[in-house]
Amino acid sequence: MTEDAEGWRRLDARMLLVHPLETLIRFLPALLALVVFRAGSEDNDRWELYAVPLIIAFGVLRWVTTRYRIADGQIELRRGLFTKQTTTARLDKVRTIDLTARVYHRVLGLAKVEISTAGGQHDRLVLDSLGVDAARRLRAELLHRVDPAVTGLPAPTGAPLTLDDVPDDAPPPVDDEVLVRLDPSWIRYAPLTVTGLASAAAIVGFASQGFSRFSQERSVFRDGATFVSRLAWWVDVLLLLGVVSLLAVGAYVLTFWGFRLTRNRLGTLHTRRGLLTNRETSIDAARVRGIRLDEPLGLRLAGASRLKVVTSGLLREQGGSDWLCPPAPSGVVTPLALRIRPDETAVSGPLTPHGPAARRRRLTRAVVPAVIVAALLVVARLLWGWHGSLLVLVPLLLVGAVALGRDRYRALGHSVTPDHLVTRHGSLDRQRVVLDRDGIIGWKVEQSFFQRRVGVATLVATTAGGAQHYDVVDVPVEMAYAVLAEVSPDLIAEFA
Amino acid sequence: MPVAPGAVLREPAHRVSRRAVLMWTLQALVVVALLLAGQVVWWLVDDAPSRTPHWVVGAVWLVVGAAYAVAMPQWRYRVHRWEATPHAIYTQSGWLWQERRIAPLGRVQTVDLERGPVAQLLGLAAVTITTASAAGPVTIHGLDLSVAHELVDALTAAAVAETGDAT
Repeated sequence: MTEDAEGWRRLDARMLLVHPLETLIRFLPALLALVVFRAGSEDNDRWELYAVPLIIAFGVLRWVTTRYRIADGQIELRRGLFTKQTTTARLDKVRTIDLTARVYHRVLGLAKVEISTAGGQHDRLVLDSLGVDAARRLRAELLHRVDPAVTGLPAPTGAPLTLDDVPDDAPPPVDDEVLVRLDPSWIRYAPLTVTGLASAAAIVGFASQGFSRFSQERSVFRDGATFVSRLAWWVDVLLLLGVVSLLAVGAYVLTFWGFRLTRNRLGTLHTRRGLLTNRETSIDAARVRGIRLDEPLGLRLAGASRLKVVTSGLLREQGGSDWLCPPAPSGVVTPLALRIRPDETAVSGPLTPHGPAARRRRLTRAVVPAVIVAALLVVARLLWGWHGSLLVLVPLLLVGAVALGRDRYRALGHSVTPDHLVTRHGSLDRQRVVLDRDGIIGWKVEQSFFQRRVGVATLVATTAGGAQHYDVVDVPVEMAYAVLAEVSPDLIAEFA
Repeated sequence: MPVAPGAVLREPAHRVSRRAVLMWTLQALVVVALLLAGQVVWWLVDDAPSRTPHWVVGAVWLVVGAAYAVAMPQWRYRVHRWEATPHAIYTQSGWLWQERRIAPLGRVQTVDLERGPVAQLLGLAAVTITTASAAGPVTIHGLDLSVAHELVDALTAAAVAETGDAT
């Protein structure tokens, strides 16, 4: 890697190949459509070829104009030819660092580096792309800056570093402890999560869109559809389940293959995952505000769960960057959670239930919509002569609603330990959040009209990480203030 | 069993300005006026011979709108309270949905003073205290302008005095 007198560095020159490739992939559907369209016409003018030099020129321009450097305790990124844009971030505000390598990045030995700092999207620095080694060295420079003893690096506020001094942490150094490694048998949990199903649906949608561009393929679909509709209904259901499960498994493998979570001596959490697109995420321990144990219904029934981290600086659109463990047996996830937050009571201890008012509210909320739907079904049968067999759904709906309400109440609970505030809620999407007490930066006590009537409130702890706020739902008012007083006694004392 | 809000943690000490009632009333009237405009448009574009639906709908929103414009501001005024100490800020707001917010000043990032058109007319201002959490801004509406300025100065001074990087 080259560096000029002022310490400015460039992107890797190999990115010149990546940019045209990405553009090509983005316009691939349009190009295919063009080819299909051309096949029937006499027009031999390949005008789309004129775009190629333009795209390449654009890439070169980007390479020439983009520079970055680390100096004076800051990382600076400069871009643009006519409008020069400089993004600066203080090194001590760096929260997480993402290394992403798509297939073509990997072929070329490149990785895209995304550095997120305090705040939102505009505080993100993207370097697309660096050589993998340079990217890892940069990450080491940014994350290991705190403890010179570990890396032998000078503190960040000083002269630019000599790059050869920075250790390349490509293979995990000996002192990195491996917290969890994907066991291929966990793939069986893929079809049990909504995420898995959603990705399956996305694949189906994408594929059907791609295929519909080729009109000659349509007859294949029609024949297929006729074939399927002639089968017995239970075969159809099995077929559907099979296809969806396969797709969910595919999505799981693509996302989580080779998943590994490690922790270095500074406590920085480091995940690596992905079959085709390789993604590495490093999370500064000082930015972690807690953990979240997810137990959606499907996983819970199978005795599994998954683990996420509550941290500032992860971006929502990088779905999955906050995963510390993909869906796995609870026997693996709970001990893992304990290694990250060693607080037995918080991670797996019993929670204080929220009492009868909360229970009534859960039941009302589940049953009322079910009753409305059931009533509509009956009305539809009487007025518009809908098929009578639909009425079978009525008792199913009601029983399901009561079961859901009861399960939602069972989930509801909270507890306060010396270091953490724990809250749990939800049935279909149950989550238990273990939030660091010193990560809480404010409180809200919310009460709707109906909550006031029955003397419950929703206690909201606001934090700079994750979802920004975590709620203790429908807790009796006195209990809400008791929690507040226990976690933030100084704050309450101000207004005693 | 209603629990008196003061039973568990006393209310914040100060009420907002009495003129806030007027501000909320004017704001409510704007909403009602928008509904009226919709009603007028409907009257003009409707070709049906019968005008009964117009009178029925008009009467309903007039009653609801009047109740809203009269009751909501009073209700709000009774709920809205605030208090600031050198270390923390504590507010209570809302009407049907009510909430109390409490935040330590050590975690404050910005303090903003805002004045909407109606507020300017009445010499009022709103003060917003932002923390590092996107869920945590604390806003006090309907403060007397001079009180708001004093509060901003006090909060800024206090926030500087507190240590910590606000996350």
